Amino acid sequence: MSRFFERYEPETSQFFDEVIETEGAPRPHYDKMLQRFAQFSIDDIKARREIVNIFFRNQGITFTVYGEDEGVERLFPFDLIPRVVPAHEWQTIEKGLTQRITALNEFLNDIYHGQKILKDKIIPAELILGSQHFRREFVGVKPPLGIYIHVTGSDIIRDRQGNYLVLEDNLRTPSGVSYMLQNRQAMKRAFPVLFDKYKIRPIENYPQELLRTLQEIGPVSRREPNVVVLTPGIFNSAYFEHSFLARQMGVELTEGKDLVVNNNKVYTRTTRGLEQVDVIYRRVDDAYLDPLVFRPDSKLGVAGLVNAYRKGNVTLANAIGCGVADDKVIYSFVPKIIKYYLGEDPILENVPTWLASNPADLKYILANLGTLVVKAANESGGYGMLIGPESTIEEQEKFAEMIVANPRNYIAQPTISLSRHPSFFNDTELWGCHIDLRPYVLYGKTITIVPGGLTRVALKRGSLVVNSSQGGGSKDTWVVDE
Amino acid sequence: MLSRVAESLFWMSRYFERAENTARFLDVNFNLLLDLNKITHVENPSYWIALILVTSDRERFNSLYEEYSAHTVTDYLVFNKDNPNSITSCVSLARENARSIIESISSEMWEQVNNLYHYLQSVTPQFVHNDPYGFYKEIKNASHLFQGITDNTFSHNEGWDFIQIAKYLERTDNIARLIDVKYHMLLSEAQNQPEIVEGSEDIIQWMAVLKSCSALEAFRKVYLSKIDPDNILRFLILDRTFPRSINFSVCAAEDALWRISGSSRHRYVNNADRLIGKLEAELSYTAIEDIYTKGLHHYLEDLEQRLVKVGEQVHLTYFAYHTPEIEPVDIEEALPFTGVAGGRAYWSQAQQHQQQQQQ
Repeated sequence: MSRFFERYEPETSQFFDEVIETEGAPRPHYDKMLQRFAQFSIDDIKARREIVNIFFRNQGITFTVYGEDEGVERLFPFDLIPRVVPAHEWQTIEKGLTQRITALNEFLNDIYHGQKILKDKIIPAELILGSQHFRREFVGVKPPLGIYIHVTGSDIIRDRQGNYLVLEDNLRTPSGVSYMLQNRQAMKRAFPVLFDKYKIRPIENYPQELLRTLQEIGPVSRREPNVVVLTPGIFNSAYFEHSFLARQMGVELTEGKDLVVNNNKVYTRTTRGLEQVDVIYRRVDDAYLDPLVFRPDSKLGVAGLVNAYRKGNVTLANAIGCGVADDKVIYSFVPKIIKYYLGEDPILENVPTWLASNPADLKYILANLGTLVVKAANESGGYGMLIGPESTIEEQEKFAEMIVANPRNYIAQPTISLSRHPSFFNDTELWGCHIDLRPYVLYGKTITIVPGGLTRVALKRGSLVVNSSQGGGSKDTWVVDE
Repeated sequence: MLSRVAESLFWMSRYFERAENTARFLDVNFNLLLDLNKITHVENPSYWIALILVTSDRERFNSLYEEYSAHTVTDYLVFNKDNPNSITSCVSLARENARSIIESISSEMWEQVNNLYHYLQSVTPQFVHNDPYGFYKEIKNASHLFQGITDNTFSHNEGWDFIQIAKYLERTDNIARLIDVKYHMLLSEAQNQPEIVEGSEDIIQWMAVLKSCSALEAFRKVYLSKIDPDNILRFLILDRTFPRSINFSVCAAEDALWRISGSSRHRYVNNADRLIGKLEAELSYTAIEDIYTKGLHHYLEDLEQRLVKVGEQVHLTYFAYHTPEIEPVDIEEALPFTGVAGGRAYWSQAQQHQQQQQQ
């Protein structure tokens, strides 16, 4: 055991610890890492921290904190200890996500075409038709290859027993993949010897896989599709990622005003005139895409884009209207969705979920606000949440009112003690911090998942919220062959 | 290349060059005053008014300050954020433009813009007061380093050509203004104090003009004889080999424009190429006597107007590419030194109010 791990308190009686099985005994796939860290002094760790910081700063990997004077740019918090996922566990995740994404895509096809699942009363129709992300205008519009969700990033957690559970499906514009790639680069610089000791599956091909996926879904009439990335612009907090992916794929990074629609075709405005665009990897929400169809005040979109899309002259990744399937209410039906379309049991379980729209569940939720986590169905980024055990009576009362006023908009889940992973604090001591995992799933002609994903860490002691907008950080994630 | 990217490259380059030129004006003025110290009264505001005249900013300056002094003029031209042409503003705008196309420029270019920006954030007025020479040298060197990095890390294709056009149009404009203002000042002084126009102050002032273009040594190699205004004007306006002369800069801008469009001598394909070609041809066949016949001030004023026209045409030809549904962009917004900071940096701020949630 290293000097860092000697003083580490995993509290295995309360939490599933990723590294330590029971007090004092590391899990086998962490053996070599612990041996290596045993050779490091605090100064060694500080020196490596410096390498990583310089790397991130030089790459411009910062995010902007709004509200403060002139938008301060900060380094994204990064933890030096990598997470190790053994190959057999990864296999379960990979199969489970493939199953889940396939079923969700079938579901979207059904919702926007026959709506069989509603007619068979598997899901109450009002939940779908009343969802703010259901796009009535796209009923009957078929995207190329029948694929809606080309890029997804489901959030996976582990419970007390170490079971992998899906917490959330992000089917619209999941972010963070650039951190996954850059974390790996940073670790290679800081810990080259450690890389020698493990057979780590590479993730560096993600941009090429993404480009291939985007090319595969281009309109059939266009043989060499022209792909662009659409960003809301430099003031978006994920702008770095948008420019990073465009650069890595070698395609243009565009803003709404770079695009123009003429005769239902989309073009970029270039110094040589107009050039037709076939596939748009858009990182702009549905609501901002086209001021003629959605929010008329949007400056981020392109007038006429939706008509070009309906005509099949341009493909959007992801398709419009996917939000209806990653709504937190629909989430609770995903096991049924998998069973309905694929006839299989889910490989990855859901977190138990109560729906406030269901009267019996509502009663339970209101009676147990102090122990549950309540979430607004349509929010993301850790906003609109009540964490029961950490809340005040006033907050609970406020949420109770909001839930009763709009039950369709709320769900509740038990407070899951997310698994913990030792993370450096001040580079001198290790704390157990809660983590989750976001693998990125690409869906073109086939489903591709690069091994690993972004492990997000709640670096505030005891905090359960891992979102970067709420003080979370990340660490490198290694899928290793034994 | 996307019009927006080309436009951002253009303005990034233009603002960087403008920052360098402002640093040059200020640097030389300080040096000049040290020399003149022995001859005349340096607190005379006329030495500082000149710097404000160069940037055609008299009105805005008067709305912000009470008097023309070393302190107020330095503050206005170096630090003032309400002055879009101050060194701080120019570097911030160059950086904003660079940031919006960070995937298109080399990471070394970005680092250099960023470094200068952070350097300026750390500098205090006291620091500039204590070591003006060191401060202005830092700005000039940062600009040279940026140009060197650009030349060595960025493909010499269309994007690089837009950078060159912007740099040389801006430089030409600055040289013309500098000559115009100095000439104006000398004339008015000559009327008031006829005895000094041929005196040593005259020579020192003209040397200052040369120095602010880093041209004194190059000038001496060409004109070994005494420093006289004819030769100086000949050198700064008509020399074809010195990189801070008007003729050289116009040729360089012309080359870059022609590379982009494929134009060649006698065959232009757009108005930007036509106007720059016409200007270059005229400069090639101009003698200093022709300039005097027209009147130096009129000549320079006309030159500045024609540079503005070239800038307008570059904008219309390459940046404002529009289909009939889209209104042409108001060209007034993009003029140099008119007080409205052109370019994309301001315009994109309209977006910051539309923040969508991140998944």
